[in-house]
Amino acid sequence: MSRTQHSGEGRIDGSSTGTTRESDAAAGDPVDPDGPLLQVRDLRTEFRTESGRVVATNEVSFDLDRGETMGLVGESGAGKSVTARSIMRLIDSPGEITGGRVVFDGEDLLAMTEREMRGVRGNRIALVPQDPMTALNPVLSVGEQIVETITHHQGKGRKEAREQAIEAMREVGIPDAADRIDDYPHEFSGGMRQRVLIAIGLSCQPDLIIADEPTTALDVTTQAKILDLLNDLQEERGMAVLMITHNLGVVAQTCDTVGVMYAGNLVETAPLDDLFERPNHPYTRGLIDSIPQTERTYDELPTMDGSMPDLLDLPEGCNFAPRCPHATEACRTGGDPDLEDIPGTDARAACIRTDEIDLSESTADPVDGTGRDAVDRSGEPLFEVENLKKHFSAGEGLLDSLSISWDGGPSIDRRSVKAVDGISFDVYPGETVGLVGESGCGKSTVARTALRLLEPTDGEVYFDGEPLHELGSTEVRSLRREMQMVFQDPGSSLNPRKTVGRIVGRAMERHDIATGEEKRERVRELLERVGLSADAATKYPHEFSGGQQQRVAIAHALAVEPRLIVCDEPVSALDVSVQAQILNLLNEIQAEYGLAYLFISHNIGVVRHICDRLAVMYLGKAVEFGTVEDVFSPPFHPYTESLLSAVPHPDPTRETDRILLEGTVPSPVDPPSGCPFQTRCPRKIGDRCETEVPELEAVGDDGHVVSCHLSVEEMSQRESFVATEENPAASD
Amino acid sequence: MSGESSDYTDSANRYRPSDAQIERLGRFSRRFRRNTKAMIGLLLVLGLVFVAAFAPLIAPYQIDTTNIEDRSEAPSLEHPFGTDDLGRDVFSRVVMGSRISLYVGFGSIVGALFVGTVVGLVAGYYGGMVDEVLMRLMDAAMSFPPILLALTVMVVLGPNLNNVVLALAFVYTPYIARVGRSATLSERNEAYVESAVSRGETDSQIIFSEVLPNTMAPLLVQASLNIAFAILSEASLSFLGLGAQPPTPSWGLMINSGRGFMESAPWMILAPGIAIAITVIGFNLLGDGLRDVLDPKVDAIE
Amino acid sequence: MSMFNYLVRRLGFLLVTLFFVTLITFAVTNVLPGNVALLILGPNASEQSLEALQQQLGLNQPLYVQYLDWLADLLRGELGQSLRFGDPVLGLIAEKLPRSLLLATAATLVAVVLAIPLGIISAVKQNELPDLGASLFGFVGVSIPIFLWGLVFILVFAVWFDLFPTGGYVPPSEDPVATLTHLVLPAASMGFALTAYIMRMTRSSMLEVLSEEYISLARAKGMTERVVVLKHALRNAVIPVITVVAFQFAYAFGGVVVLEEVFFWPGIGRLTLTAIQSRDIPLLQGCIIVVALIYMLSNLAADVLYAYFDPRIRYGGDE
Repeated sequence: MSRTQHSGEGRIDGSSTGTTRESDAAAGDPVDPDGPLLQVRDLRTEFRTESGRVVATNEVSFDLDRGETMGLVGESGAGKSVTARSIMRLIDSPGEITGGRVVFDGEDLLAMTEREMRGVRGNRIALVPQDPMTALNPVLSVGEQIVETITHHQGKGRKEAREQAIEAMREVGIPDAADRIDDYPHEFSGGMRQRVLIAIGLSCQPDLIIADEPTTALDVTTQAKILDLLNDLQEERGMAVLMITHNLGVVAQTCDTVGVMYAGNLVETAPLDDLFERPNHPYTRGLIDSIPQTERTYDELPTMDGSMPDLLDLPEGCNFAPRCPHATEACRTGGDPDLEDIPGTDARAACIRTDEIDLSESTADPVDGTGRDAVDRSGEPLFEVENLKKHFSAGEGLLDSLSISWDGGPSIDRRSVKAVDGISFDVYPGETVGLVGESGCGKSTVARTALRLLEPTDGEVYFDGEPLHELGSTEVRSLRREMQMVFQDPGSSLNPRKTVGRIVGRAMERHDIATGEEKRERVRELLERVGLSADAATKYPHEFSGGQQQRVAIAHALAVEPRLIVCDEPVSALDVSVQAQILNLLNEIQAEYGLAYLFISHNIGVVRHICDRLAVMYLGKAVEFGTVEDVFSPPFHPYTESLLSAVPHPDPTRETDRILLEGTVPSPVDPPSGCPFQTRCPRKIGDRCETEVPELEAVGDDGHVVSCHLSVEEMSQRESFVATEENPAASD
Repeated sequence: MSGESSDYTDSANRYRPSDAQIERLGRFSRRFRRNTKAMIGLLLVLGLVFVAAFAPLIAPYQIDTTNIEDRSEAPSLEHPFGTDDLGRDVFSRVVMGSRISLYVGFGSIVGALFVGTVVGLVAGYYGGMVDEVLMRLMDAAMSFPPILLALTVMVVLGPNLNNVVLALAFVYTPYIARVGRSATLSERNEAYVESAVSRGETDSQIIFSEVLPNTMAPLLVQASLNIAFAILSEASLSFLGLGAQPPTPSWGLMINSGRGFMESAPWMILAPGIAIAITVIGFNLLGDGLRDVLDPKVDAIE
Repeated sequence: MSMFNYLVRRLGFLLVTLFFVTLITFAVTNVLPGNVALLILGPNASEQSLEALQQQLGLNQPLYVQYLDWLADLLRGELGQSLRFGDPVLGLIAEKLPRSLLLATAATLVAVVLAIPLGIISAVKQNELPDLGASLFGFVGVSIPIFLWGLVFILVFAVWFDLFPTGGYVPPSEDPVATLTHLVLPAASMGFALTAYIMRMTRSSMLEVLSEEYISLARAKGMTERVVVLKHALRNAVIPVITVVAFQFAYAFGGVVVLEEVFFWPGIGRLTLTAIQSRDIPLLQGCIIVVALIYMLSNLAADVLYAYFDPRIRYGGDE
């Protein structure tokens, strides 16, 4: 079909970004001022890899109108980022754009010279990248990075450009913009840096903004603020926005139309409400269904079987057929279906059966399950943590943590990071207790310190009555058998140089559970129990997908027959549809083996379905602790309240009443006086919050405790976030 | 795999590489073969080893056969590299000299590897005081230019070839230790180490069974580069008269002797000089190539 | 104030390392007291003279006492008398050191001027001809011993083409132009050997920086490739290169020992060699300590420069 030619001005090194000189482009559609701003037709981008050519963007076509916000949704590897970057021709070797047209405001971007393209980038189409921590040049001031865009594209003088930059910073909500314009990126928090990135994007008043996962790297509360900001700015300026994300909740709040990508193909496009009300592609249906809803209770979380295929090994026929509950023989053999209009709607879908099947109903069980079994708390708790503290010395090495200040004379003090500053909880056999909080609250540190992977600075930890904090190292080592851990990143928690069988088997050997043939037999059984095949034992970790690796990690944890497993964000690094599979597996295993779990997560929505009791953490302390129903219902700690309200729901019809927090999380090196939350609390009373540290006090009879100076009535002003007996039709 | 034993020992409990490991080795050697640098380097090194092994057979003359009449003769068919001021055949001496270079190169690095790896791994794993002390010690040793340190050690021990090996092992240990330490530091925080700790492994088990295999790659690269340094250092030491003693055909020593005759008989310094260059280039290429193969982050395109 | 913090910390490290340096120096040069006297007087010395010398040098005392005495002297700046020359060691060193510094600086300058542009080009034209050519050049530079470079340069440029003198030194007070002509060959020979590492570091640092997200964003903003490479990338990439340059300067100081011999350059390198050949222990100790000190100071300078250019350290900030 199309041949690639290297055209136009090259880079300093003589190469050029891959372009096509399609004869079609010249004979393209006439310029239509009322037409779509962006018309993508049959865009195709390929990558050369060691094992062959991979088509990351496969003949993608869609339109975007002026002022419209379109969400491009898909799981990791689906090709949405590549598509977005292809539009801006930011694809570099070993990738190249091998086909299609991208008509922006009447001109085909793929036919432009590199020089012309440079005039478009940053000026008429701007990119807001994903990771605010790495996307800013650390050695240039923030202002410089905005100003250079302005001077380059608009030819203005430095002074004028500087004024414009300060204005841009103000518009995105950066306080004290005029003072901070010469600051460096590392002097800003993550959320602020993201605002800077947005300011850079807006600085030349582009017609189109491509936002690549703009909030994924941020905490839920910050995310909410940034999304609101994007919405406001877009309304004011009438820009078009192409929002890349994997989070349907974000889409529901911000987008007008949605495109769904799967394994390189665009499989559905539709206006927002239509998409959620009546999806036209089975994958979209599955995606919407696999997001657990906060107000419902499930016996088993809804999932999709399997996972997205490797782009090197695509199935014949429709890419989704192997996982599709509606697939027929024709689907499996026919090749990728074309994206076609659905008559009577503004939607398109790539499915040959779309007119036959009705996807408007969720495939998840409409009846609420009974949820989790009641936990028997009549006996002694299995695991008790009392007033645990863990302080680190700041900086590296002995000398680094000393801070020398000149206050009339030199003085030296030791700085410390108070990662965990007094937390207490317990876990009963068969129970799952959750620790929830945003990044930096100390939840991971709590887990590690409680297991004595780190030495506690203070506090007590009891496992089955044994004082873990006092035992010698040999005793601790033998007790390790009872307490295991599943880590967040399965890729690094498995030794890359050992086979899976050895990793799982080693644990058994170490605690003398089994050796030789018996060990191998058990390893095989365990691998099958966690959903892998027995021959996985001879493979290396990198040969598995993320979800499968996590299954191996679970098998490893189970190998020693523990009684407690600490799960540290075990699903955060996984795709949405895989998350539910792993969570279901964990629940099954818990029921079968009678295990207790300590579950750590920043995602309060996930936690709701897997935990019995829940502690909300902020700056090293627990601010609320109780059963899931209690924590999700009034009375609320103000932080819990804002956390819960910030979770984006994948339901566009839902109005949310979000509480947005001012400022950012204080540094644990220098925590605020009094209540740790007082610097940001929207319900702050006054002096009392600044001087007195609130204690955890009971607010119900069920062991529900909250640490706040507000009265119970004052804390109960919102409705519950879950359906309870008193509140069956919950909404916020 | 098809129902085979899924473990790495066969029925007699001998170590048998699993299919997966064989595949890994295959992949490694494929990438190695594709890397031109590494291949050329390997070729040169193998060539050197071959010459060294068969040196007495290759060299037509004895290294100390003097022949005053034929002294300082230009290269000819009889004497491909000419003769030196004492009438000795330069070609034979250069060939025999390869043994010395190899001996020094490998000998000193093996020594440095042994001590340096342990020091580096221990320092990196334990951190804290242990790390500080060990690293200060290593830093101190590295505060001397290597030549200088080697020289001072030679002064004490006395100049001869074996002492050169010892001195260089001493000098290069900190570099190996440093690499080992930084590799350990980056592995130490990986979750599989925590995983091992939570399994209840002892420290030494973790260091040698979990961490070490993952640090071997950078260590090997550093080691092969250090062999090049070691050979250069030996040449310099011998050039200064503080290394091998006459009539040992150390290349550096040959250059020293040939210096006075540079104008009239330049082959006396050029022949051993080129030999040194080729050898060192070979090891450098090999080390660089290994680095590319084992750590594909940079230069990822084929 | 965090720059101040940083500096103080680094000085602290330096002092600790210095302490270990003195230990090593002392240990290496004073392994066996009997041997020291023997070394000095030779194998034919009589018992009596050995005894006397040992007494004189205080070699009969326990090692740690000797060490502490020596250290005390050191701190007072008292480096002893040269056994061979009879003059104070400090004076000898003070005379010769500046010449070596001149040589090392010139060599480093040559290396930097060659290496950085070559490194940038290699990175930008990765895997193409200029890259391979530059790598080759660097490779050869580092694979040939410094003394051989020197000899070859002398052979070609001084003997065959008679462009430069074959060696020796002329103080600038006498004839600055002559100083320069005498400096060219030695600086060039050493410079070539230093180039490789600086170039390699520049290249790999540039490559790493060029793959960073912010470079990608700079391009996405429509910046020309030239601005991207020279403004965005280089400023980041050059930071680790500074450390390498300082390290190479220090390496040059090791090289001077050999190179000064080749070019008859009367610096501290030749002095050290003389000390070794004459078994002049006090002189040797003095030379070693001074060279090590210079090495450490240049590393400190590298750290200071690094901190100065990296705003993350300069302005601090609690992450």
